Amino acid sequence: MKSYDLITPEGTRDLLYGECAARRGAEETLRGIFLSHGYSEVITPALEFYDVFNNKTRNIRQESMYKLTDEKGRLMALRPDSTLPIARIMATRLRGCTLPLKLFYSQNIYRANPKMSGRDDEITQSGIEIIGGEKKRSDLEALSLAAQALDLFGSKEVRLELGDNGFYKFLIRELGIEDDESVRVLIKNKNTPELERLLEAYFGTDKEKAAKMLLGLPKLFGAGEVFEKADALLDYPELKARLAELKQTYDALCELERGDRITVDLGLVNKADYYTGIIFRGYIEEYGQAVISGGRYDTLIGSFGIEEVAAVGFAANINAIAAAVHKNVKLKAPDVLVYARDGCLTDGIRHCRSLAQSGLIAEYYDGEDEQAAREYAKSRGITRIDVIGAEQSGAKAK
Amino acid sequence: MNDSKNIRIALTKGRLEKDTAALFEKAGYNVEMLRNKGRRLIIEIPETGIEVVLAKAADVITYVEHGVCDMGVVGKDTIDEHQGSFFEVCDLGFGKCKFALAGRKGENFYEGFGVKTIATKYPNVTRRFFEAKGMDVDIVKIEGSVELAPLLGLSHGIVDIVETGTTLKENGLEVYEDVSPISARVIVNPVSMKLKKAAIEKIVAQMEQHRGE
Repeated sequence: MKSYDLITPEGTRDLLYGECAARRGAEETLRGIFLSHGYSEVITPALEFYDVFNNKTRNIRQESMYKLTDEKGRLMALRPDSTLPIARIMATRLRGCTLPLKLFYSQNIYRANPKMSGRDDEITQSGIEIIGGEKKRSDLEALSLAAQALDLFGSKEVRLELGDNGFYKFLIRELGIEDDESVRVLIKNKNTPELERLLEAYFGTDKEKAAKMLLGLPKLFGAGEVFEKADALLDYPELKARLAELKQTYDALCELERGDRITVDLGLVNKADYYTGIIFRGYIEEYGQAVISGGRYDTLIGSFGIEEVAAVGFAANINAIAAAVHKNVKLKAPDVLVYARDGCLTDGIRHCRSLAQSGLIAEYYDGEDEQAAREYAKSRGITRIDVIGAEQSGAKAK
Repeated sequence: MNDSKNIRIALTKGRLEKDTAALFEKAGYNVEMLRNKGRRLIIEIPETGIEVVLAKAADVITYVEHGVCDMGVVGKDTIDEHQGSFFEVCDLGFGKCKFALAGRKGENFYEGFGVKTIATKYPNVTRRFFEAKGMDVDIVKIEGSVELAPLLGLSHGIVDIVETGTTLKENGLEVYEDVSPISARVIVNPVSMKLKKAAIEKIVAQMEQHRGE
């Protein structure tokens, strides 16, 4: 039988040294930001029941989940997302708690990507959820934290992009089109040619106005000038009100951050669709996909059978952030290598401990030979070697 | 990702590449180096900040998806078969043909209750087409001339690209049903679209402007 004991499954990888340090560094930095703003950390199981992720309102594609069964034959999934488990906690252990509530997480999610796509199936995500806050305030706070996360790449070109899928949702309701993935994908991929083919049927009817607006939606992206263009195109009082609200958030964010880093895209929609208002993405140069993704989800928690609680949150892709900054991470060599001669092993350990306590990085040499210890230190880039115990005359004579 | 200020465009080698070069020429670009490229795979278009990469159709999608090329020109057939996440911003109108379901002339494909076997080079397109009809079919992947399969009795029909229909006719086959239209499309990496918006929109606008000529 063929054995696969020397490789890792496609989409997963071992992280060694610098790569590992880059991953942990990115994670720790984000944790630091979240903790310093009063967020509380939660850890949810990697293994959950499948139903958490798949029902009418929370449809993560079943093809993209890793599934297995428990001993009763119930279907389980490796979590493909952290927001849904947190919504589950809100409906159970945190039900009736004081709101607003601010949570953060830093854990792996699992997605079954098409093979040979070169994408990660195991992704470390760090993110926040602001639950039960007032809309304007919590949207702005979530965005400002996302901007802070993007600031970690100070030297790179970054963009934080705002959208609101309310425009899309309103227009397809107006047109009487069912909100299914095929339509969302056309908008999301800015596929104007196909969208035009789909909407042609509405031209020349009383729905032409809405069809033209939907067709124009994917093109409404860029800097602040988008708002004027959108105002000219979107001719419904509901949409104008939504646009004014988004503009307010945009202006507030521009006041906080460098304005040239903030953009708008009214054609932003998500494939997995639990968002109900503002959505946003973070991009950095050198990475072909969004590194931050988030938005408002006011009906998701209610879908777990409790009263609706409004919420907003985002997740940052730590794999991507680490890959982008990896070049800059250099592992620090230990300050001291401690070699203990025969008969002085406990003294060696003691010495090593006291060095470590004094704040140095002290590595205990686990080999027997002193010369080998010196070569080892050289290969590791350690400049100081502490040899413990007196030279043994007998050993030398040999 | 392609982080230079240049715009890197992946073209599908062969006819789409020639048609796109003609389009660029109409738009006033100097395409001499693209025409006389020899064996080079990366070609610069002088004074435009555009770099052209020549690749096989499916690879155009891969390069754009990963962002190492900012945009690409590829047939809708390849997009439908491989899919992926990128912006599909413009229909160039050339490379026109269609996916169609075909089989032996004069036979009724939908007759009978047996599960049908379909031979194709495009299993994903075929699967989606029959899934939408709620029809179970067996799909056999063929690499070469798919027309052989129904003639040899391997399949009841084929799903393939049909341009003029001459090959079908000469082999005693006919189109039963159109599956979907095909033409050349411009695709763009989502992050490139956001970070290099002005440059990319300019190129797309120029292509759109001259595509009908």
